[in-house]
Amino acid sequence: MEKFDVVVIGGGPGGYPAAIRAAQLGASVALVEKEALGGTCLNWGCIPTKALIASADLYERMRNSAALGLKPGRVGYDYAEMNVRKNAVVARLTGGVTQLLKANGVETFKGTASFTGRNRLLVARRGHKREVQAGRAIIATGSESVRPAFIPRHPRVMGSRRFLDMTELPSSLIVLGGGVIGCEFACLAARLGVRVTVVEMLDDILMVLDADLRRALRRHMQEALRIRILTGEPMKDIDAGEDGVSGKVGGKSVKAEKMLVSIGRRPFTERLALEAVGLNTDETGALPVDEYCRTAAAGVYAVGDVTAGSTQLAHAATAQGIAAAENACGERPSKYETLVPSCIFTSPEIGSVGVSEAEAARGGLDVQTGKFSFAALGKALAAGEAEGFVKWVARRDTGQLVGAQALGPHATEMISEAAVAIRAELTVEELGRTIHCHPTFSEAWMEAAHAVHGECIHAAPKHG
Amino acid sequence: MAQAVLLPKLGQTVEEAAIVKWHKQEGDAVRKGEVIFEIETDKAVLEAESFFEGTLLKILVGEGETVPVQSVVAYIGKAGEKAPGKTASLKPATAAAQAAEPPAAQEPEPRRPAEDEPPAPASPPSVLPRRADTESRPASPPPRPPEPVPPPQPAPARRLFITPRARKLAEASVIDPARIRGSGPNGRILVKDVEAWLEANRYHERKITPAAKRLAAASKVDILTVRGTGLGGRITVEDVERSIAARPRPLSRMRQTIAQRLTRSFTTTPHFYVTVTVDMTDLLSYRQELKETGQSFTVTDFILEAVILSLREFPALNSVCDGSTIRWYESVDLGMAVGLDDGLVVPVIRNAGDLCMVELHDTAQDLAARAREGKLLPDEMTGSSFTVSNMGMCDVDNFHAIINPGESGILAVSSTRDEVAAVDGRMQIRARMKITLSCDHRIVDGTRGAMFVNAVKAKLEDTELWRSLTL
Repeated sequence: MEKFDVVVIGGGPGGYPAAIRAAQLGASVALVEKEALGGTCLNWGCIPTKALIASADLYERMRNSAALGLKPGRVGYDYAEMNVRKNAVVARLTGGVTQLLKANGVETFKGTASFTGRNRLLVARRGHKREVQAGRAIIATGSESVRPAFIPRHPRVMGSRRFLDMTELPSSLIVLGGGVIGCEFACLAARLGVRVTVVEMLDDILMVLDADLRRALRRHMQEALRIRILTGEPMKDIDAGEDGVSGKVGGKSVKAEKMLVSIGRRPFTERLALEAVGLNTDETGALPVDEYCRTAAAGVYAVGDVTAGSTQLAHAATAQGIAAAENACGERPSKYETLVPSCIFTSPEIGSVGVSEAEAARGGLDVQTGKFSFAALGKALAAGEAEGFVKWVARRDTGQLVGAQALGPHATEMISEAAVAIRAELTVEELGRTIHCHPTFSEAWMEAAHAVHGECIHAAPKHG
Repeated sequence: MAQAVLLPKLGQTVEEAAIVKWHKQEGDAVRKGEVIFEIETDKAVLEAESFFEGTLLKILVGEGETVPVQSVVAYIGKAGEKAPGKTASLKPATAAAQAAEPPAAQEPEPRRPAEDEPPAPASPPSVLPRRADTESRPASPPPRPPEPVPPPQPAPARRLFITPRARKLAEASVIDPARIRGSGPNGRILVKDVEAWLEANRYHERKITPAAKRLAAASKVDILTVRGTGLGGRITVEDVERSIAARPRPLSRMRQTIAQRLTRSFTTTPHFYVTVTVDMTDLLSYRQELKETGQSFTVTDFILEAVILSLREFPALNSVCDGSTIRWYESVDLGMAVGLDDGLVVPVIRNAGDLCMVELHDTAQDLAARAREGKLLPDEMTGSSFTVSNMGMCDVDNFHAIINPGESGILAVSSTRDEVAAVDGRMQIRARMKITLSCDHRIVDGTRGAMFVNAVKAKLEDTELWRSLTL
């Protein structure tokens, strides 16, 4: 039987960095992946959607480029070609991961892994089985789309993964679920001219965000992208047939050529045979871990979407994977980072990190905010991208920056500066005194920091 | 004309109280019956309402200040009116006047201050505690001597001799200069002393995040005393917060009272303890039976009643001893300990021996509910003659309680559990509960204590007794 110091189960953004980090630390490492290296993120999530969004974004900008003095002529697109490009990007990146694992001496097994006992794993593939011995195991099996029974099984009804395989766009689309995935796909399709209806059972789309961001995003989606957004009611009587998908939301009837189901993802632990190591999942199906990514079973770690309380973000899984690998290799125990910035690739983009205003209010934290609109920023106007704003959330007593949110051009890039500032426990004054290049979008952070104490140079003073 | 607002009289035994919060600020309009401030005695926090309509002209007693009852704490009058000065009006009514007369007539004419607008004579009293139901309560026995509680005494700050520049440097460095030895005349701390201190403590090797430094400065935490747990030992906000949490804080007045009374009792009263196990099986099924007929009693009700009946048989346990004399109380004024979020109060069921089961139940429920809401009046929490402390809901096997000062015993009631017990030579599962008497050994000897707890036990196990008391 082959022996490894560390066996990582799952080759996604949690698993493969864990494997590489463990190998860097001198461990003999095996990685088991049932489908494709890179996991959901690289193959059916973050990367392919961004490849398509890049095309959609440029298409939309070209169509609206008359305002910038361009004469683009007739602008069109070929979705099949966009898809080919997307696949090429994915192929290139998965190839990169394969190379990296190989270069670090990680042995990769194709198949599913299940525990057969303490320190033993069975790797199975199409009837072919082999058992490996694992000094430590890191579970990084991720999550899968939730598909409740009331949703009909029909080719016109699909999850995000199948949506990405389409080579042709429907003329109309229902997006069931107004969370991060739903809103990203809705914006993508709408920007390419698809008539989109978003149905969200909760009171608003993207309930994780503060109300001002939700308002701005919803306005843009409804007015500029012509997306129909129905919130506060579940979709009932869902029917899928030859002529499309239909249903009822409240009193309104909804109909479209296809439907995307994006009502959440659940931890994937199937076939792991966790009982063989005495592990149980919680009521949500997730694996509870401590701040060092340790599960209740000695020598078994878990990272990413499969863990309880996960943010379901690739970069959070990576941070956990690295911490777990270091802990599994007997480094000085390192806690995984809990300050996780998040990015939403809607139109406009959204970035957020740390404490939101609503969370501060719930937690009884006394905070002040400072906001700055891109409409007042030289670079944003010059670039013709003046929609949106950035916002700091700071403790009233010390001015400590505890949260930040951005909506607008490059918000997902810009949020990283805020993450650095918050993690370094900078104050409003420190950030406000940091010189930012002019003219750039990032200046908005500096101006918003000034705004916390009403000392903004480029905004009229507020009276009363 | 300006009307004087008085600190209300809070019952027989309370001589002073602290204003903990003003709901109105100077210049605010005040309506009749509106809550204008909150008072804290050593037992409770109460709201005081205005008897006048007008504008709050002047606040004389700030938040956190303790003054005798009936002191003038503020003036209410017409907007723009000048309030009388503080000097002439802060005089409390004399203790003799308080004891002799009802509040309405007892406020002496305030001496006229030598100012153009003298205050109106403050009669009737301008504020009353919101729950002013003192009159409706049955006559209470003469109050036992109150426990004088000294106000919290912060350690007097040692005057620090330090040059202004040295102080500035210490402040900018967020350190406490009191720990520095001064080399100037009279031990005055000079800039070079601060610098040497920083050097000796390797101050400049310390790393601290900007927000942590701000927080330390704002909360007066000496950053040389903070252990950094960030990357490379950097001091983070969390580290400073941990230091803040570990600082000594003054106890609440309630905790100070608890500390003072219980320490005195435990160190001056020789306690001894005797425990018995009570079989509650029959009583619990009888209680269920009563419940089905619409009569609802708590287990505590039965325990209280059993104690009341037993105290009649053993008056020595309903007494107080000072080491040379013993005094039997005339009535059973039963204290029942009620746990709060941070503290403990003992409301008193007056003349508990005169109450039937239903009255006892209602009184106990009312007192416990108001205790939890912090709405008890001070008088309702003083003068018990024996106390029951029930921790049955806390899942405990047994515990020993400390006798309340002025009493000679306290009964600690623990959780009822299903246990294997020998009944008529056979094993049975029975619901059993331990009760432990703590008593003052100067008055009660072992035999007597044992007899008392067994008397309580016998009553609780006697279903016929409960049938006769609840029908």
